[in-house]
Amino acid sequence: MEIRICGVSKYYTSDGKIIKALDDVNLTIPSNKIFTLLGPSGSGKTTLLRCIVGLETPDVGEISIGDEVVWSKDKNISVPPEKRGLGMVFQTYAIWPHMNVFDNVAYPLQVRNMPKDEIRQRVAETLRFVQMEGFERRPATKLSGGQQQRVALARALVAEPRVILFDEPLSNLDAKLREETRKELRAFLGKLQITAVYVTHDRVEALALSDSIAVMRAGQIVEIGTPQKIYFDADHRFVADFIGRANLVKATVRAEEGGCTVVDSGLGRIVCQHRDIPVGSEATLCIRPEFIRIVSGAAPAAGNLVNGCIESLVFVGEVYEVEIGVGDEHLLARIDPGAKLKEGDSVSFTLDPAHCLLVAI
Amino acid sequence: MNSARTRLTWLLIAIVGALTVCPVVMLVLGSFSEGLTAFGHFTVDKYVAAYTDPGFYEVMVNTGIFVLASSLLSTLLAIFLAYLNTRTDIPFKFLFKIISIIPMMIPHLLFAVSWALLLNPSNGLINLGLKDALGLDSAPLNIYSMWGMILVEGLLDLPIAYLIIAPAMASFDVALEESSRVCGAGTWRTLLRITLPVLRPAILAAFILGVVRSLASFAVPSVIGMPGRVHVLATYLYEMIATGFATDYGKAAAVGMSVLVASVTLIVVYRALTAESEKFVTISSRGFRPSVIELGKARTPLFGLVGLLSFVLIVLPVAVLIYTSLVPYSMVPSAKAFSMMSLKHWSDVLGDPISLLSLKNSLFLAVVGATLGVILSIFVAYVIVKVKTRAAGILESLSYLSFSFPGIVIGVGFMWFFVQTPLYATIWALLLGYIATYLPYGIRPMSSAFIQIHSHLEESSLVCGASPLTTMRRIIVPLLIPGIVSGWILMASMFVRELTLSVVLSRPGTEVLAVQILRFSEDGLWGKLSALGMVMILISTTLVVVATMVGNRFKAVQG
Repeated sequence: MEIRICGVSKYYTSDGKIIKALDDVNLTIPSNKIFTLLGPSGSGKTTLLRCIVGLETPDVGEISIGDEVVWSKDKNISVPPEKRGLGMVFQTYAIWPHMNVFDNVAYPLQVRNMPKDEIRQRVAETLRFVQMEGFERRPATKLSGGQQQRVALARALVAEPRVILFDEPLSNLDAKLREETRKELRAFLGKLQITAVYVTHDRVEALALSDSIAVMRAGQIVEIGTPQKIYFDADHRFVADFIGRANLVKATVRAEEGGCTVVDSGLGRIVCQHRDIPVGSEATLCIRPEFIRIVSGAAPAAGNLVNGCIESLVFVGEVYEVEIGVGDEHLLARIDPGAKLKEGDSVSFTLDPAHCLLVAI
Repeated sequence: MNSARTRLTWLLIAIVGALTVCPVVMLVLGSFSEGLTAFGHFTVDKYVAAYTDPGFYEVMVNTGIFVLASSLLSTLLAIFLAYLNTRTDIPFKFLFKIISIIPMMIPHLLFAVSWALLLNPSNGLINLGLKDALGLDSAPLNIYSMWGMILVEGLLDLPIAYLIIAPAMASFDVALEESSRVCGAGTWRTLLRITLPVLRPAILAAFILGVVRSLASFAVPSVIGMPGRVHVLATYLYEMIATGFATDYGKAAAVGMSVLVASVTLIVVYRALTAESEKFVTISSRGFRPSVIELGKARTPLFGLVGLLSFVLIVLPVAVLIYTSLVPYSMVPSAKAFSMMSLKHWSDVLGDPISLLSLKNSLFLAVVGATLGVILSIFVAYVIVKVKTRAAGILESLSYLSFSFPGIVIGVGFMWFFVQTPLYATIWALLLGYIATYLPYGIRPMSSAFIQIHSHLEESSLVCGASPLTTMRRIIVPLLIPGIVSGWILMASMFVRELTLSVVLSRPGTEVLAVQILRFSEDGLWGKLSALGMVMILISTTLVVVATMVGNRFKAVQG
């Protein structure tokens, strides 16, 4: 079920100032895909989700789910959340503490006045799907965080909603459990063929789970794309910086050579991935730490070769995090812990043009 | 050091045990004895007499109706107010704080009296006004009835019910309701199936505490019930021991036993429920900010209702008392009434030797009782919080036991005890009774103060070579001052207004303020009553104001 959001804005007043939680958002969420709204806190992603589900009312615009307009300022339509036929997993899971697992999951079916036998059968099926069979009689207060998460998912799925929405569902789990649950969630959603809207501020979660990511900032959507596009090929500096760790270096475009764009920067002349930026204009060169390759011995023929000096070296487990000084620039790099390096060493490194990304300033 | 602590613990267990267990033991023994003067001759006659009395059945039914209906009223009002405050955009939210705190400064006895002054059938102000306005021959409303008792007791128990329900509602995760909406349930179904069930432990706890308090309540049944001949257990007991010629403390003890058992059982249930409701607060604080329900057109009328309630709870009782203390006899406020105002009742009361004696006694009990009570509370709280042995656990249970004791019943138990001692009919009997009954009110602020003092502060003093007693004097007590002040004030203001225990233990020569006010009320001397009542309120209020100022100064010092 496709979701269309047209010209939606939402304002709050706080301390006499008007805050634009959503600022003229236009977005089409494709059907049967996992679509993620990613952004720092306060970027409006949760507000947008709550507008879709009907818990928040926008100030202007129109929202439709499938063929049905669920909210429209101009047409004066406002469908309450209970009539929208959606499923949602809340950040706190919102498992009702006075009910057991069965009652929590059966609730959406009970309020639809379904026959008891069918309810029992569908709850059993859904619990089996989330691997919680046998937990029907368990009181809600006796569930672990991961179990609560699954019950919340089962409850959101049991009534076969048109769309399922997730509001930072993993942020209350500890790091290890979060990783496991993320994989499970990916597997569950992969089997389902359902439109899913997922809100998170965690870039790893967004990259790992999504078919498509919309990055938000200050109530606006900055960029939409596949995880690969957003990570390797972002158009905006904010997106490139937010989606992963990046070294950002000022650069000036000098030439177009053999399908690549060549810039002058604090690192010297660098050959980058092609961008349609006029020669002579300013841009930002974005280099991810993991693509800085230290060269030992003979210099390779291809790629950009840069010389620098190791300023600091921190062992963080799987890699060394190294700060390399090149002129006035300081680059963060992640290098193999086996490398025999120490502070003050001169080093040479290469940058693959495919991973030298130019973004607008 | 450990042995010193152990000795201290056992010493305190002995003292607190004597204070709280002794009246209960004496009540049990007394109920099986032939009489105050024949203590030790055991019999079950008193039980037979008490529970086969034909009047007893009616009293039980009355008590049941009174206790359940007033608790229901206070709980429903508290739910309503808490919901408005925590979940809607009602204006002037500071009013809710006032509603939950100020009524505790107005003694229950005077609150009940003020309603009698307004609505009694012979010369209640509202009744007089309605008779004039509508041209009626008789008073349209009669507070001296079951509904009057329920109304006044319900309003009195409202603040405590509110203080239990409002925090539960404030910590309620709105996502629980929102997910129900998304699952397809409408507003009403969500309220009935999610909101109220999740709040059920808190609501039940408020209801049960209301039952315990109204079961122990003596002010309302005596001022409002007795003139209308509506008797409940508290007044039934009172009549058995305080009026007429045939006082029967044995029968009173036998009846009191069932009140005590009921009360203790309910408190056990209450504590289980509060534990349950803490378990239900499963929610992290990271949820979305609670959405405020816009009241729209209902905003003004609902606020009007809240305003009316705060007027009735706070302004009205004091205004009625001041007015009545100034006019010569009950009359509707008018130009004539204002021209006749004088301080006659005030000078009468302040010239009345018994009133003066009661004032002196109450002040003595407040100052000396609160001081002794606080000193005992400091040691008890210290052991409860800092010494975590099994004996300390026993002390904790012992010291909170008297929470569940209905004043008049425990008064009967003390009576059985003091009659055997030279303390009988002295002010010291009242003093001991007060401290025993109100000890939890001193311990509670003190233990929260102790919890805030890190044990390293104490340990470093010991390492520096100070003895445990020096450590207590030089380190702990100075850090405790704010807790001590608030505990002292709380106890002192309760002692100034103490009624239920006093009506049993006070004898000629040991009258206290509340008992004297009750006598005025029984004699219908409303003017004098109001003047003396205002004196009581002034003392209470002064104490609270001083406490707030002292508390603020210490906060500023700690910065």
